[in-house]
Amino acid sequence: MLPLSLLNAAQNKPMLVELKNGETCNGHLINCDNFMNITLRDVYQTNSDGDRFWKLKECYIRGSTIKYLRIPDILLDAVKEEQVRAREVGRNTRGAHAGGPGNRGGRGASTRGGRGRGGPMRGGRGRGRGVQ
Amino acid sequence: MSSLQGYVDRRVLLILQDGRAIVGVMAGFDQKSNVVLSDSKERVYSMEEGVEEIPLGLYLVKGDMIILIGELDETLDQAVDLATIRAEPIPPIRY
Repeated sequence: MLPLSLLNAAQNKPMLVELKNGETCNGHLINCDNFMNITLRDVYQTNSDGDRFWKLKECYIRGSTIKYLRIPDILLDAVKEEQVRAREVGRNTRGAHAGGPGNRGGRGASTRGGRGRGGPMRGGRGRGRGVQ
Repeated sequence: MSSLQGYVDRRVLLILQDGRAIVGVMAGFDQKSNVVLSDSKERVYSMEEGVEEIPLGLYLVKGDMIILIGELDETLDQAVDLATIRAEPIPPIRY
């Protein structure tokens, strides 16, 4: 499982983010991107000694300054289940397009026959369709 | 090409740049060596008392911070009584 897919699934969930300078931010994830830049809402920020606190309505954290994120345990199972479901859906839709279950080789042979992938062949097919 | 794929679903030890030692099951990783650990615990070493294990749960560690990742021999690890271990903690990296 990719770390970023886990993070994406963590939107609107509470999390703890520790920065490289030791500061921590506790809040709910609003959004994130592929650099792991994140925005949090209702944030409690602490300094690196953990003896000073700030309350922020919202904050943006540059991904490169993050040391780690602590995420609710249940998210792992949620993402795993989601991946299984996505795989099932993918398999079913692919099956429908191919006119039933079958392996790739079989599908390729039935739709393309022995024509191959040459440019002239494709052109020929295009003309044929136009006439119809 | 070196890869972390062989560590997936195995219990691993992470050493971070700040000297922390974290054990957990590697649930995933990416190109930048960002790592997802499930059921993770920090092991705090000291000379005064035995190793303290702090449960951390699900952790996403940035690849930048990771110094090493090693697979744990679980039977060997369980045979060790952490309460009897005395060791200096690893100091953080100094630049």
